[in-house]
Formats: sequence, structure tokens, C-alpha cells
Amino acid sequence: MTDTLSTAVSHELDENALLEAYRTMRTIRAFEERLHDEFATGEIPGFVHLYAGEEASATGVCAHLDGRDSIASTHRGHGHCIAKGVDVKAMMAEIYGKKTGSCHGKGGSMHIADLSKGMLGANGIVGGGPPLICGTALAAKQRGTGGVGVAFFGDGASNQGTTLESLNLASVWNLPAIFVAENNGYAEATSSSWSVAADNIADRAAGFGMPGVIVDGFDFFAVHEAAGEAVQRAREGGGPTLIEVKFTRYFGHFEGDQQTYRAKEVAEARAKLDCLKRFRARVTETGQVDAARLDAIDTQVADLIDAAVEEAKAAPKPTAADLETDVYVSY
Amino acid sequence: MARTISYREALNEALAQEMERDESVIVLGEDNAGGAGSPGEDDAWGGVLGVTKGLYHRFPGRVLDTPISESAFVGAAIGAATRGLRPVAELMFIDFMGVCFDQIFNQAAKFRYMFGGKAETPVVIRTMYGAGLRAAAQHSQALYPIFTHIPGLKVVVPSSPYEAKGLMIQSIRDSDPVIFCEHKAMYDTTGDVPEDSYTIPFGEANVVRDGDDVTVVAIGRMVSVAEEAARELSTSGIEVEIIDPRTTSPLDEETILESVENTGRLVVVDEATPRCNLATDISALVAKEAFGSLRAPIEMVTAPHTPVPFSDALEDLYIPDAQRVANAVKSVAGWTR
Amino acid sequence: MGEPAVTVGAVANPASGRDIRRLVAQASVFPTAEKANMVQRLLAAFGTVGVDRALLSTDLGGISAAVLRALHRRRGRDGAWPQVDFCADDEITGTAQDTVNAVRRMVAAEARLIVCLGGDGTARVAAQACGDVPLLALSTGTNNAFPQLREATVAGLAGGLVATAAVSPAIGTRRASVLEVSAGTRTELALVDVCASTERHVGSRALWHPGTLTELFCTFAEPDGIGLSSVAGQLCPSPRSTPDGVALTLAPPDEATWVVHAPIAPGLVAPVGVRSWRPLVPGERVSLGARGGVIAVDGERELELRDETATVLLRADGPRCVDVRAVLAEAARTGLLRVRNPEGSVNDDGHLVHGGQPRAR
Repeated sequence: MTDTLSTAVSHELDENALLEAYRTMRTIRAFEERLHDEFATGEIPGFVHLYAGEEASATGVCAHLDGRDSIASTHRGHGHCIAKGVDVKAMMAEIYGKKTGSCHGKGGSMHIADLSKGMLGANGIVGGGPPLICGTALAAKQRGTGGVGVAFFGDGASNQGTTLESLNLASVWNLPAIFVAENNGYAEATSSSWSVAADNIADRAAGFGMPGVIVDGFDFFAVHEAAGEAVQRAREGGGPTLIEVKFTRYFGHFEGDQQTYRAKEVAEARAKLDCLKRFRARVTETGQVDAARLDAIDTQVADLIDAAVEEAKAAPKPTAADLETDVYVSY
Repeated sequence: MARTISYREALNEALAQEMERDESVIVLGEDNAGGAGSPGEDDAWGGVLGVTKGLYHRFPGRVLDTPISESAFVGAAIGAATRGLRPVAELMFIDFMGVCFDQIFNQAAKFRYMFGGKAETPVVIRTMYGAGLRAAAQHSQALYPIFTHIPGLKVVVPSSPYEAKGLMIQSIRDSDPVIFCEHKAMYDTTGDVPEDSYTIPFGEANVVRDGDDVTVVAIGRMVSVAEEAARELSTSGIEVEIIDPRTTSPLDEETILESVENTGRLVVVDEATPRCNLATDISALVAKEAFGSLRAPIEMVTAPHTPVPFSDALEDLYIPDAQRVANAVKSVAGWTR
Repeated sequence: MGEPAVTVGAVANPASGRDIRRLVAQASVFPTAEKANMVQRLLAAFGTVGVDRALLSTDLGGISAAVLRALHRRRGRDGAWPQVDFCADDEITGTAQDTVNAVRRMVAAEARLIVCLGGDGTARVAAQACGDVPLLALSTGTNNAFPQLREATVAGLAGGLVATAAVSPAIGTRRASVLEVSAGTRTELALVDVCASTERHVGSRALWHPGTLTELFCTFAEPDGIGLSSVAGQLCPSPRSTPDGVALTLAPPDEATWVVHAPIAPGLVAPVGVRSWRPLVPGERVSLGARGGVIAVDGERELELRDETATVLLRADGPRCVDVRAVLAEAARTGLLRVRNPEGSVNDDGHLVHGGQPRAR
């Protein structure tokens, strides 16, 4: 039986890997907190959904991925983009609706994508991503690349038929797919404890013949380990896995959400559970990383975000000539 | 060398030739092989109407049966298309678009624009449409106008075995998402089809019949209905020019306008229901761009604004026939101020 | 109506049975509905042996809600349950604190038995809060060394007989040993085993890479156990009934004295290298050899060590556990669950002497 088990693999991270993980989480946090402030000035158009608080999920999962692998994201997609290596400055410009953006200003916050990085896009449709990931996983399997597909989706999407169909299809086709259910407690303003009839999203995995596990989404190491096992299993032909990541989002559903439906859990989570605080405490206490190196990353990230905002603000908007381009490859 | 084969065989041959030519082409859909997981034979069906029959054994591992989960497998085809495959997914009946439309119009159709021109999604969604098999309201509709409405999709409506093969090969080679609409009453229609592979470009209408009196634009199976009417009208001295647009998106506006500029009279024959269909769209085009050439009001021959009825007595009334087309042509031909 | 005489408590953990062992081993998800059914089977047993009141934990996972629903739907023919009350005074946190709070409430309500449904982790938390009240830990998972995988009705009968004092504690319960592990100011209790690993982080908690294990301490080690204690179970068994335990020094298989093929998780029979072992006696405090790494208690990583060492102490004063087999053997011996019809009231052929009707069969 041990051939199905990964007794050989270890998910120990060396110092560089720890620093990279921290940099990714810190970049996501700084990006989102800055957007929260900038959105309040009225300069950012449209709908913005922030990922702050959930950094350990995107970071812990994407740490196992490489160029062969693809991910699909959600409307709360900035963190997944950053973790999969999408250019931060281009992302910021995109959110400002600028021509220099990842999508030349035609996508916006909800549609940032970089297919060259295997990032299939943030997605404005709840439950839009899982079917696509069945396809990217199928492509990897058919072409024999060893790649995997990862569908990030929320507790809201866990109730969508597209998601449930995809879990079934991934299992039927034995796809190298990982379904990461990011349960942040709320689908818009509706509590997942009310809307998810199964109590735990992970419990649904059993109905689709795949393992389902729950991990502490505030703990980078917990996510990293579970994702590592799931990715390795998928690469080895073991089929799909459902991972439920539980945590709390720090901001509202969208920027501007007054969050009258929420209790005091955010302040508590920020104080006691925060993934960045815990990561820093643990790697410095174990002596794996010197705190000064983390401080240096904080400074570098702050500078990057400052520059990204500054450049985004200064960048040109797309023009009328851009309106009708890029609908088709040829028409 | 051309020989006579059916619409079904023409499609099968197009798929086979493209799968032979390009390893990245795969076929997937409900019972596209048939018999998955069952004790009996594999490739039991080859699609519910046999279009993909035989491909399963000829191209091992590249014909995939799916659960009845249109969102998941149409979405999967779209996702796979972004990662180097050229999938041909079968949405069994066009009526089933309701259970997977998001993946088509919010995902596939928008990737390229929404992502700033950086995405290519070479997916073909084959689907059967149309009335005539007593398949009733949920299995008989002509819904290609809905797809035509969506920027980012290409929509193909082949009218004969020859068209079916050339347009299918073109669809597979095209780098944009294509909705390929096959009329279910035409699978056994036969016609001359070259054995060799060939393509028919999108956005180039076929002038099926020349005539100077009335322009008839007909979509899909309505082309043969128009031809039947034209033969009868010719005996009474009215020569119609029949235009088959082949693709409703892109639409060959030029060929239509040139013809109307010559005849001054237009009838559009469309099996779809009458509001916001190809008949209204082409009529609006002509009214706007060739108003000065029109010598009579435009006539539209369409289905009524109803669901497709089941009873043969009603369904036969529902589908536009040669008599209605002929009547419409006569009315515009004889129209005077 | 006065205060009911015999109260018992039952706490069910809604989160158990969902950890990473579903992914790295073939552990199964233990459904909420089945946990609720177990509670109901307990209640049926309690009702039979004369428990007056059952105090149940509450949760947001759906267990207490399902029991409440069942309570409302009960009909007379369903048999007697004790009076059912819920511990609803504490805020539900979704953490182990909920188990602690519920058990404390039950102890304060003078419960004479605490039933705990969950895995090793749940039992450990309950054991720390239940004091001297007899504990009956039932497994709601597949990877548990301490809680017993038992039919809840049978276990409920045994627990109920202890609670009502029909079977004396001296016969029906036994004192478990515990391992106390301390590092700096932090202390954890283990009911089954303490294991040191070179892994750095608590991570997803379970421990399934045998190559990282360095030292193992067990309160007991059964040859038919599951989990890390099974390593000792196949090498140097130590029964639950004695206070002694065992201590093992582990090593990579190619550097070890013995290699034990042990079921360290469901579906995972792994070669574990053992360099040496020795008995562990209560009261002996042992320093762990390595600095750093993590300490797992009952198979779950709990303590991340900084630049410090930890000590382990075997204590004989663990929870008082219900011995289901011993209780029911005593019940059989003394006839607690049987009644003999009056002498001569039934003929040999099964007909009542006075009614002339056949006995219902």
C-alpha cells in the first residue's frame, strides 16, 4: 500500500524557500492593504475584492507549482496572481484601468490573468474556474507534461453546480487536479455555516471519490504540507484532491462593504492567528531565518508597492483605438 | 476525388482527418464513444447520432466520454484549449446550452479581450440544432442567434455535407472559440464531398444560386428549403439568388449587400424564432447599408414566436417550408408602390 | 420535580475525522450524521439503565442540531431517553476550547460519567478537563489509539452502569497513565504516545514521515494498535492495564537495530527503525536528546521547539476510564441486564401458565 503514500517526500523548506514564501505573503498583504487605502480615495474604478488574511493559502499552494502548472482563481484573485508570479506592477496598473496593465486595462481587478504563467485569470463568475481546471489538467495529462491544475474557489462556489460537476469529472477522468476550497466564512454577506449544508466543504470529497482534508488557512506550514501531498499525488497519477482551507477575510466582500453582518472575528484573527505574524514568529524562534532578513523584505515590498501605485497612476489609459482590438485572433 | 457521402460521414471524416493531422485535436462529449464503464462493447454509439463513430479505436485516448455534466466538460474543453490542446466538444443538443452557457459566453468568449489579447482558446463546440424530428420544445430549437450575439464567438451553420466537412476542418484550425451548429435533420442528407482535406474560410458566403429578381439569404438547413422554392419560382419566371452565409459570425455582409444592390429585393429565411434572429439582423443590415437599392419591403420567413411543438401537425407548420418562402418571394417580387 | 439524580455528560467533536490523514493515508471522513447517531445510541442505552439526565455538548457542525431534531421527533414507542439538556452557556469557538468548556460544565453539573466522541486529540482534551469523573472515549475516526472503536449502544450501557453505581468504579474503571511533556513553560499531556521529530513545524499536525522520528514514548503499546504506539506494540508490548510504559530511541532503518513494519496510520505500514527500547516507569522524567524539532502528542504535532529541550514524565494519575468489557462482564455475572420471570409462569413450551397464549417470540 505504501506506493500510494508519500513517505519519501518531505516538505521541509530551506531558508531561501522560507524567505520566498514570506515575500509572497508580504507582497499580497501590502498590495491589498494599499488597495484598501487607495480605493477609499475614489481613484480606483469598479469592484475590488481583497484577499488580505488569506495569503497562506495562495502562497502555500503555489509554492509547489511551476511552469507546467496552471491555476484558476476567483473574484478575490490578487493573491493567486501574485503567488503564481504575475507581475505586481502590471497588476496594479490593470486595477487602475491603465494600458500598461496585465490586460491592457480591458480586464480589471476581477480578470487579471497571465497565461504565460499558467494563471488562467481571476474570475468574475462564482464557480467559473473549476471546469476550466479540469481542462488544463486534462491538457497536462494528454500531453504528458506532469503538470497539474489548481482551482481556487470559495465557500460560495462550493455550492455551485459547476464546482460539483468538476469534482466529479476530475475524479472520473482521474485528472491531476487540486481543488482548493478557500472557506473564509462568507459568500458575500452569507455565512458559510448557513449556506454549506455539508458543514464542511471537505466532506463533499467523499461523494466524489477523492480525499478531502481541512487545513488551518492561517498557517502557511499546514497549507504547504497538505498542498505538497496533493500536488505530488496528482503528478504521480493519483488523481484529484479537495483541500478546504479555513480562515477569515480581513476586509469586506468588496471594498465599500460595511460588513454589518460580521462579528468581532476579524480583529481577533488579526491579533492571534495572522499568517504573517505566526510565520515570522515561528521561523525566527526556530532559528531558521534571521528577523533582519524578514525586515529587509518588508522594506523591499513596501518600496515595490509604492512604485507600483505611482507608476499605475502615471500610466496612460487605453484609447479609442484599443476598444475593438483583441476580440478574436482573426475575424 | 469527390464522392457522395452523408452530412454525418462528412463530419466524421473532417474530425478523423484533423485528428490524423494534429495530435492536439481531441474529441469529448457524452457518449462520443459510448459504453464507458459498461460490460459491453466500447465505442457503442460514437455519439448519439453516430458522428464520432470509429474515432475511439482509431485514435486511442483521444476520444473521451464524459458524465452528463455539460458545464464541467465544455469548461474542460475550454480550459484545455488554453493549454495547447484543440478540443472538439460535443454539446449534444444546442438546447442544453442553458446548463453550460457561462463557460461559453463568460469564459471562452471573453478570455482574449478580457486578458488584453494574450489568450488563445481554439475550442470547437459541436452541437445539433433544429426542428423536424418531433423532438419537441427542449431538443429542437435553432439557437444560433444567441451565440451570434456574443462577441468573441464564431458561429458556423453548415448547409450541406460539402460545407460541413470544409467548415469543420476550418473550425478546428481556427484559433478562436467556434460554435458549430449541425442540423439534426440533415445527418442523412447526402452530397458530393472531396476525399481530401479542405477548408472553407469563415465569413465568406456561398452564392448557392444566381438570379436577378430576388435575393434570398438562408441559414443552415433553410438553404435547401430556399433551393426547393427557387426551382418552383423559376418555372413561373422568378429567378432568385440564394446566399448561404455559412457563418453567422463573422457574417459576410458584402456578398449580401452586393446581391441586394443588384436585385433590389430581399427575403431572409431563418429557422430561428423571429425576435433578434438572423433574419432581423440581416434585414437591419440591408435596410441601413442598401436602403437606396431596395425596391420592396424586406420579407422574413421564420419560425413563429413559440416554443417548438411536438405534434407533427404543429411542427410541420412551425418550420419554414418552400411554400412559405415562395410566397414571400412572390410578394416582394410583385410589390409596387 | 427535584433535580434528576444521575447525570452523565457527552461531548462530541464536530471537527474530528477530517485532517490530512484523509490525504496521506486512507483514513475516511467520519460523517456528522454518524456522530449524531452515536449520541442517540448512547441516549438509548442510558435510558435503559436508569440514567436520569444527559448533558450534551453543542456545536456549529450539526451534531447537537441533529440530536435536538431527533429529540423533537421522538415518539413513545422509541423507548425512554433520559432528560436531555445542552451545554449552551459558552460561546462556541470552533476550537478545542469548546470541548474543555463542555466537559467543565458537565463536571460542574456533577456528571458521573463523561463520554467523549472524537479522536485521540479530543480524548486528550477531555481527559485534562474531566478530573476524577470516569471517562468513556469512543472513536469517531479510523486512526485512534486511545478512544475505543466500539458500538455506542454497548459502550453506553457500560458507561451508564458505572454512572448509576450499579457497577462499582473499582471493577468498572481503570486508571490510565499519561505522559506529560514539557518544554520551557509549555506543557502537554498525551494519553498514548509522545514522539519527537526533526520536522520544524506543526504544519498539518499529523505525523507520517517515519524518517523524521527520533524518540518515542508510550503509555501503553498494544500489538494490535494503530498509530505510532504500534511500533512499540510489535517490539515491546506493554498492556494498558499496567502503569508502566515504554521508551524507544528511533533511527533511520539502515542505522537501526530493529526495523518494525508498523501501521502508523490507516493504509500506511511503514518501516520504522528502532535503535533501543526500555521500560518507562511512572515518575521518571526523561530529557529528550535533540534540541529543536517538533513534539507530537498522540500522533499530532503540538509543540515546536525553539533552541530548547523537552522532558517527558510518565504519570500514573491519568483519567479514570470505563472498561466496557469489565463492566458488562460484571453485569452478566450479577445479572444487571436480565430479569427472570417468576418461577413457573412460563411452561417449557413457551406458553404462559395462566393465559394459555403462546409467548411472543
